[in-house]
Amino acid sequence: MLAMTAIAALLLVRNLYVMLLVLPDEKHQNAAYRIMFFHVPDAWTAFLCFFLAMIASVLYLVKNDLRYDGFAASITEVGLVFGAANLVTGMIWGRVIWGVWWAWDVRLTTMLVGWLMYAGYLMLRRAIEEPTERAKMSAVVSIFAFADVPIIFFSIRWWRNQQHPPPADLPPDWWMALFMNWIPLLLLAGVFLMIRMEQERIERQLNGLRRTVHAF
Amino acid sequence: MAVPALRGSMSFLRQSLTIASKDLRSELRTKEALNASVAFALVILLLFSFAFEPTEVETRQISGGLLWLVFAFAGALILNRSFARELSNDCLDALVAAPISGAALFLGKALANLALLVTVELACLPVFGIFYNVPWTQQFWPLMLVMLLGTWGLTVVGTMFSALTVNLRLRELMLPMLVYPIMVPGLLAAVQLTAPLVMGQPLAGDLIPWLRLLIAFDVIFTALALTLVETVLVR
Amino acid sequence: MDTRNFTYLCYGLVAAWLILCVYVISLGARERKLQRELERLRLLVEEKER
Repeated sequence: MLAMTAIAALLLVRNLYVMLLVLPDEKHQNAAYRIMFFHVPDAWTAFLCFFLAMIASVLYLVKNDLRYDGFAASITEVGLVFGAANLVTGMIWGRVIWGVWWAWDVRLTTMLVGWLMYAGYLMLRRAIEEPTERAKMSAVVSIFAFADVPIIFFSIRWWRNQQHPPPADLPPDWWMALFMNWIPLLLLAGVFLMIRMEQERIERQLNGLRRTVHAF
Repeated sequence: MAVPALRGSMSFLRQSLTIASKDLRSELRTKEALNASVAFALVILLLFSFAFEPTEVETRQISGGLLWLVFAFAGALILNRSFARELSNDCLDALVAAPISGAALFLGKALANLALLVTVELACLPVFGIFYNVPWTQQFWPLMLVMLLGTWGLTVVGTMFSALTVNLRLRELMLPMLVYPIMVPGLLAAVQLTAPLVMGQPLAGDLIPWLRLLIAFDVIFTALALTLVETVLVR
Repeated sequence: MDTRNFTYLCYGLVAAWLILCVYVISLGARERKLQRELERLRLLVEEKER
């Protein structure tokens, strides 16, 4: 875990150097386009997290093993953190380029709705005490939420077909920088995930201990 | 081969209809949820007219959003009651233990909720027309189709989450928190369809993709709910 | 590098990192709380076993 964090830190320093000093300014956006190198990988990480949460939820319903539930809960929370980073950086970027904090752009709005769904997921988890019941109910919510993501995306795209910069025609060294910056973010997400899963494990242990205490 | 399958689906439908008629009968006896929901919807319709100038032409353009917000709020009241009603006297345990599948129970409850919600909507529409001076009946049947499809989406998701949150202390709070974000595409499509229909545009051209989206939303979530409801109900 | 918009770039990068930092702090807080609870319950179990 320490090694992962160290690699992530080194890569981030290297990427900051490339971003700030090697890559040239964008024609219309000047310096601010560099926000993208965090904004975009943040979104990828968040959606990857939500996707894995859906897989883990299905696995929980099939196998009834609480470890899958712990994984789903942990990775959803990590996804929400990266989703929040994506939303905030997107807003700051929108303020520079479009002049407004929130332009109801397709991807950003989809992320917001998704973020709210998964925040509801975590709130539901807090509201249920009994572990297996909590696992079952939240697994169902996670599956519903992920099934909704593509529908939300298309509905909002039809509602406002507008401005988000097309991702396809970036120069190759920018793509390179994007992916290079995704690696440390993924590593960090992995570290967060491991810490969270360990906490979930302690939580299960605590539940066992509480039962023993009550049994006396 | 086909005959037992047909018989199976017939009995599935009959079981659902039994549950639906049971729910409707017990609701009509007290009219608790129905009265509260209609009254609530009317209050919101009234409050909205303070938010903007209710006679302007532009208000007709946002009529779709206005109506569907009213329906979504009023719907939450009905959906909250749907499973919570069965908590007293352990009726829910009896229903789950009954020799019908969870899917049939769910479908029955959803059909009853659909009927109740459509009743509320039919009570709201004329009041909306009067308050906001909108001749909303020009495209009556297409509008009814959109109402039915949008309301089915709302009921199928709402009934599912009503079953899911029935044992929670914060039930009344959790249900809208979970249902509204998931409803975003369905509500968006319904809003986009309703406003032009209220203004008298025919259901064609630009509106067809939205209709398709609404139908897709309904089909996907009906299938998902029918598959997963068993895990939610059996505790 | 052009300095126009540079402030917004700074805001963006700071915000991206601030959110992760806040999360790390909250993880640490939760870890401490869990350890305390674990310790308390262990003591309780030992006491009752005696």
